[in-house]
Amino acid sequence: MRFRHRALLGILFLLIFSFSVSVEKSSGQSAQVDDAQSKLVQAFALVQQADSQGASQAQISLLASNLNLALYYEENATQLFAKNLTASNIYASKSVSLSNAASFQALSVASDARTEVLFGQFAAYSIAIVAGFGSALLVLEVHRISDLVRKMKLRRMRLD
Amino acid sequence: MQRRVAVLLLLFASFSLVYSSVAYYSLSRPPTQEFMAWGVFSPSGTLSNYFSGAGANVTMGETLNWHFAVSNQMGSIQYAQVVYRLGNSASANPNATVPGTVPQLGNSSIFIPNAQTAIVNFTWVITSRNTVGGMVFITMTINGQQVSPSVGAVAGQRFRFFFELWTYDLASNSFQYGYKGQNSRVGVPLQVWFNSL
Repeated sequence: MRFRHRALLGILFLLIFSFSVSVEKSSGQSAQVDDAQSKLVQAFALVQQADSQGASQAQISLLASNLNLALYYEENATQLFAKNLTASNIYASKSVSLSNAASFQALSVASDARTEVLFGQFAAYSIAIVAGFGSALLVLEVHRISDLVRKMKLRRMRLD
Repeated sequence: MQRRVAVLLLLFASFSLVYSSVAYYSLSRPPTQEFMAWGVFSPSGTLSNYFSGAGANVTMGETLNWHFAVSNQMGSIQYAQVVYRLGNSASANPNATVPGTVPQLGNSSIFIPNAQTAIVNFTWVITSRNTVGGMVFITMTINGQQVSPSVGAVAGQRFRFFFELWTYDLASNSFQYGYKGQNSRVGVPLQVWFNSL
């Protein structure tokens, strides 16, 4: 009786062990492609953020072409997964490195865009305040300018 | 003197307000209607003449090179996906809110910057036909991938491709049908009828 229990327990143990190994193996195999997909989405989110923060059209176009190349590699990795695991992993790692580079560039572009926007806003509002002060001064002192012009005209007439 | 300073301050405040408003207006992005538009084009670059022969007949082994032109006017870069399905005359149509119900044959994805149009190729060929009780089932190669749709058509007549545009939604971390409209998502499906000979 005790032997039976032990045997059943052993079989159960073996089944659980083999199941866990197979799950680990299959998830390990797809990890590269999964990683490539998640890195691509992460890069897209950062590029979209840079775009919303005012990055230039040329910078976004360049990042988009890098993302499209990373997508092409990721699709190749997915297609080759069942046929050639080594080639699939090579494409997946190429995709990951391109996505990472795009993410890094997007962060830098977003930071530049933010600075540029802030500087533009600061410059525009500074000019508005200076122009406001100049205009106020001009309105208040306009009679002095006309006096000055009149005096200059008189001096010229006297000289003639 | 005090009166002059008060007038100067009042004028300064008024002018600054006016000029700041002008600055704000010039710095603001103009309001735009966000949308995505697309079409399926024949090899001649038109929205017609998809088939080389008469009518909408496609013979086995005949390669058709179509392409989609997807235009992004959403205000930022989009991750778009074209989903293709094969249906027949009885299949439920995808509409502005609901995608098609027939199984998906495949998809093509692309990143499209704002205010740009991307081209997605769609090359397909019927590689084999199988007739079961008057229903014709076809096997195709689409963009190099072999597919065997489960949908057939009576005598091979009135098959149709459904094309759907999906966009990546970062909130749900998945592709969602259509694009994000003002209040809800907007689906813009396309379809092309054909007969298999």
